[in-house]
Amino acid sequence: MKPPRLTPARVLLQGFLITVAVAWLLPVATAVYSSFRYYEADTQVNGVFSLPTALTLDNYRDAWAVGEMSKTFGNTAFIVLPALFFTLLLASVVAYACTRYSWRFNIAFLILFTAGNLMPQQVLFQPLFQMLKRTPWPDLLSDTDTGSLLGTKIAVILIHVAFQIGFCTFVLANYMKTIPTELSEAAAIDGASVPRQFFSVILPLTRPALAALGTLEFTWLYNDFFWGAVLLNQGNERPITSSIAVLNGQYATDFNLIAAASIVIALPTLIVYLALQRHFIAGLTLGSTKG
Amino acid sequence: MTSDRRVRVPRSPSPSEVGFALGEETQDPGTEAGSGLSRRSFIVGAAATLGTGAVLAACGGDSDETEAGGAAEGGGDLGEVTFGSNYSDEKPKEALAAAVATTGLDVAINTVDHNTYQENFNTYVQQPDDIMAWFAGYRMRAFASRGVVGDISDVWSDQLSGMSEGFKSASTGLDGSQYFVPFYFYAWGIHYRKSLFEENGYEIPTTWDDFKALCDTMQADGLVPLCAANDGGWPQMGMFDMINLRVNGYDYHVSLMGGNEDWTSPEVKEVFAKWNEILPYYQPDANGRTWQDAANALGDKSAGMYLLGNFVTSNFDGDTQQDIIDDIDFFLFPEINSEHGQDAIEAPIDGFMMAASPANEAGAKALLGGMGQPAAADAYIGVDPSVVAAVSGADTGSYNALQNKAAELVGGSKFIAQFLDRDTDPDFAANVVGKAIADFLADPGSIDSVLATVEEQKSTYTFE
Repeated sequence: MKPPRLTPARVLLQGFLITVAVAWLLPVATAVYSSFRYYEADTQVNGVFSLPTALTLDNYRDAWAVGEMSKTFGNTAFIVLPALFFTLLLASVVAYACTRYSWRFNIAFLILFTAGNLMPQQVLFQPLFQMLKRTPWPDLLSDTDTGSLLGTKIAVILIHVAFQIGFCTFVLANYMKTIPTELSEAAAIDGASVPRQFFSVILPLTRPALAALGTLEFTWLYNDFFWGAVLLNQGNERPITSSIAVLNGQYATDFNLIAAASIVIALPTLIVYLALQRHFIAGLTLGSTKG
Repeated sequence: MTSDRRVRVPRSPSPSEVGFALGEETQDPGTEAGSGLSRRSFIVGAAATLGTGAVLAACGGDSDETEAGGAAEGGGDLGEVTFGSNYSDEKPKEALAAAVATTGLDVAINTVDHNTYQENFNTYVQQPDDIMAWFAGYRMRAFASRGVVGDISDVWSDQLSGMSEGFKSASTGLDGSQYFVPFYFYAWGIHYRKSLFEENGYEIPTTWDDFKALCDTMQADGLVPLCAANDGGWPQMGMFDMINLRVNGYDYHVSLMGGNEDWTSPEVKEVFAKWNEILPYYQPDANGRTWQDAANALGDKSAGMYLLGNFVTSNFDGDTQQDIIDDIDFFLFPEINSEHGQDAIEAPIDGFMMAASPANEAGAKALLGGMGQPAAADAYIGVDPSVVAAVSGADTGSYNALQNKAAELVGGSKFIAQFLDRDTDPDFAANVVGKAIADFLADPGSIDSVLATVEEQKSTYTFE
């Protein structure tokens, strides 16, 4: 095969693409590189772009220990997994009711849910904070013993579910509209009840959308720092994203340590992305067209 | 790279953010480095060397919270006390646990990283632990007058006999009750080189006229009399505070900071008039200079004196500039108005407050009282020797000369101010007063219009 002709436009384009690619990769590469170097003895003295005097895994070990990552990873799992499950479950129920049935307010209802996407979450912080503070919650069901929902991981789960349902409903509704109505009709004629139609016919067909949403939502929930920081006032309850804040020293900051921590923290999302890459990309375009 | 030495926010540093550069004789045996350690290398060293073991020990396996002092039997009957802490760095965290253990109480420490802790304090205080780490002065008074922290006057009268009058007034809310237990601090004063004063036969000035005469002498000797920095907008607030405290006294200062006085009054104008008298002795163009850069002039002896916090010594490297660190001493700002003498000093204090309605009030008060005892201070200093304890009677054996001086001067002061940006609304300090001071330094003749602007903008801030 003949190589493509070298025209000035082509050189320009390639040059531009290479520059952008390098500019994009450089910070990540630097972070990875820094995470294997000593900070005080090496990076701080010789600069970020110098050759290393020695490579080490100490930063990873220290980041894991000082950031108390085994605990914060556990906290994140405790928050993200239920939040993800309930978000997808409830959103698919709403999407089902709003798209597969024609009733008086189904469009209005759908708009109400999807409009939630447009609301900046931080705006609702104060009212939510006060609501949670006034909602009694038995200490038996929390490990914070505060007597109210405020300060519990349950509260963070509830807020995540509430905020994410909007987007998920929007996406799932658009997807469910593409499923032929004849399928539901056939199931109804065969005597399937509404829940049966939902769980046995529609939900399995929605699986690609659910998988795509699951991967997207996982990264979003996982990366949340805001709600974890403002609602969980016990240091021990905080999610993984707060581990970096802990490593930010009061007087000195070991940036290589933070680089190592950031990489460890980014790993799960990377793994999820690589494992479910196909769904992930599908997820980005989901809902962009109506079938 | 010097960025790690800078305070990240343009705000004067908290005691917990800066430490005393330690002399060789006081180095901590637990770390590997050779000669005196600054707190900077200290913390990083701690993270690097004893990270794993200390942290795992501190989080206590499966238990969700750090248990400290559970072994001691004395306090068992008071039940568990919860303690909100922003001592999140390795050394301070370990040191605090050691201090808490001396109280013999069953304490669950909730450690939150210091940055988040400070930013979230407004919300945290609505669902607080029994006692909480915080700062003295306006930042405490603001919460005290809103009723979200508890009155601990009885702790002061029953248990805190070791605290000086100055610490008590710094712990007192606007209603006259105490809301705060001081733990440690650093002091602001006029720093100088002992050897330079000795070589040239300079005497420590105690009055304004002596001070200006010394400046004249230094100028004649080819020195810059006063180091001057104002990068970040906070360093020169110290000069305003000191002149105001000397001219108008502590009560007026608190009232002015509380938004209750007119910034165009003759009292405030007098402060700037006095200030104007010493501007000729300043390093030129103070507004653009970092405090570290100004400190270098003290280091190479091209300048004579420097009004700054004790953290000035942390500008010098513990390994190679130990001689400079050991040579730095400080004295009280000279007397201007004999009515007030030298009765006030600036010393930002870190300490503890109690929740308005703690789950375990008796335990909380016992813990606060315990943290105010020499034993707690000693345990803390035993782990982190870069601080100076507020309580008198603490073991000063590990202190270097500067720490001793700070303990002596602050302990002997009748009034302790907390520094302008922590004695008033922080935004008012940074955006209005800080800017006014910078404008004054750039053009001293414009002071009347500058003060008129301050008074005008003051009305847009709500003071507690």
